[in-house]
Amino acid sequence: MTEVDLKSRLEFLKRTQNADGGWGYFVGKQSWMEPTAYAILALKGSSGSEDVIRRAWTLAQSWQLPDGGWRPGSQVQDPTWVAALGLIAASCLGCLDQVAPKSVPWLLNMKGQESKWTVRLASYVHLLKTDVNVTHRGWPWHPGNSSWIEPTALTVVALKRSLAWNSNGDVSGRIRDGEELILSRRGRDGGWNSGNPSVLKYDVPSYPETTALALIGLQGSANKDLSEPLRAVQKLYLESKSSLATAWLTIALHCYGVRVPPGPNRSAPTDVLLCALQAIGHPSGNFRFLGPGTPA
Amino acid sequence: MNRRRFLPLAGIAAAAGYVSWKSKQEPHIASGPPGNSAVAVIRAASYQEDLVSKIYEGVRSCGLAVAGKRILLKPNLVEFDSATVINTDAAVIAAALEVFRKLGAAEVRIGEGPGHRRDTYDLADDAAYRKTIRGFEDLFVDLNRDDVTAVRGFAGEREMYFPNSVLAADLIVSLAKMKTHHWAGATLSMKNLFGLVPGSVYGWPKNKLHYIGIPESIVALNRTFRNTFAIVDGIVGMEGNGPIQGTPKHSGVLVMGSDLVAVDATCCRIMGIDPQKVEYLQMAAELGHLREARIDQRGESPRSVRSDFTLIEDFSHLRLVS
Repeated sequence: MTEVDLKSRLEFLKRTQNADGGWGYFVGKQSWMEPTAYAILALKGSSGSEDVIRRAWTLAQSWQLPDGGWRPGSQVQDPTWVAALGLIAASCLGCLDQVAPKSVPWLLNMKGQESKWTVRLASYVHLLKTDVNVTHRGWPWHPGNSSWIEPTALTVVALKRSLAWNSNGDVSGRIRDGEELILSRRGRDGGWNSGNPSVLKYDVPSYPETTALALIGLQGSANKDLSEPLRAVQKLYLESKSSLATAWLTIALHCYGVRVPPGPNRSAPTDVLLCALQAIGHPSGNFRFLGPGTPA
Repeated sequence: MNRRRFLPLAGIAAAAGYVSWKSKQEPHIASGPPGNSAVAVIRAASYQEDLVSKIYEGVRSCGLAVAGKRILLKPNLVEFDSATVINTDAAVIAAALEVFRKLGAAEVRIGEGPGHRRDTYDLADDAAYRKTIRGFEDLFVDLNRDDVTAVRGFAGEREMYFPNSVLAADLIVSLAKMKTHHWAGATLSMKNLFGLVPGSVYGWPKNKLHYIGIPESIVALNRTFRNTFAIVDGIVGMEGNGPIQGTPKHSGVLVMGSDLVAVDATCCRIMGIDPQKVEYLQMAAELGHLREARIDQRGESPRSVRSDFTLIEDFSHLRLVS
């Protein structure tokens, strides 16, 4: 991707902002937290984007609930996994103090249902049909559900970045537990799928986008040898045809200091999320906002 | 063994005993709605045959009227593996599109929200949908990332969110694949509605449905969306460890009907599965007809095209006897 490609993607994002300040997954659609948060990350620091970002952040903040959770958009009342994106966006904008006091405790309180004692017991007596390790606490997509790789990886990134606001033992403990959960669910092929490396004793293959997100979540892990997963990401980068997967793999590789060219664009031309991720993954893009940040 | 350790284990033993006892009881199956349901079984040896004529024949024989309706075709697009047949074949979708246009539908669109993979367009490419279906880009909506509206009264939930493209459709056509399923026994036209649930709210996978319960969710989706028609692609289905890692199984049929319970029950009989032993069908019996006597078969009889699908050990008890 050239500088011109980066500029055109940032211009696309500025041009397609909804009147309410957010972005839909596709141009002209309802605003959602996910494309809005990644658009904020992509645009941060680019010239002439201050007002665009201010309006986007005002909308995003309106989705934070009094208890610290975040709704995925105006039309949905329930809090979901996007709380992690709220915290990451706040960190990128330097305003963690506005949202972290409520969102960090909310995230610390959230955990996958498989870590409940009843499920651990069922696992102990081999009543579960999956082989997942249920001793670690990760994060679900939706409260009351099980932990999965993507929400866990994003929350681990968010909590690592929140350490710049307030570092305490609870946060560090959950970060370590989240990292352990990610590592425990790595498949035999070296990567990660959504979170079940095998079902009924059959290995389930990895997905490139989830493998990239897992590695992004593991950045800065102490005493972890990530050379093998990194090789898996490089292999998937060469093999993957998916535009979205390539965008995530590019971000992951840049986060680990590996410079790669952009992949193909086979998705809908109006795909806002893809556009934002491609901009973030540009060598001059803001991929560092998906890194662990600098602890205070 | 101390008390702390004994009590939970005793609880699990009691629960396992109850489940074992319960599974041996004859299930109560509701008699279903009044009247009979028409289900068409049309032979189609391969995807190279004239599928437009065959689907047209099936739709007409079931008495479906679509003139002026906005139709959403919902294929089963899950993952892609060139070594097996996971998804509804593109030729079946293209043929259905042509049939419904020919029959005077006001609009025909295609929508799907895959449960595992994020890049729906890439999956559609791999499954040859873009290559086979003319104008695919303009017809397709990624239901995982569509705008949504709350629906009340879904499976006891305060509210559940569904894509606006689904809610706006006058008719949802479940274009399912005939497959075994390692959690549900079989995945056919009713389970295919899982793809109507948006990932943007519930994630990848849509784990909320697992917590509600897979059979319970199948029934709730089919109770919520009653404006449906089914076309099951059984030309080449999947047996064994479905719905993703099984092996191809040629059955050479398309199964169609407005009563999705009756369509799935018919598919089960073709697959050598006793539909009255499939939990979600037992639970759905109030929505449609499960018993052979209440299904008016059009085209071939299920018996004449029966070709037993291999079942994993957990579901070997589902085998249809006779």
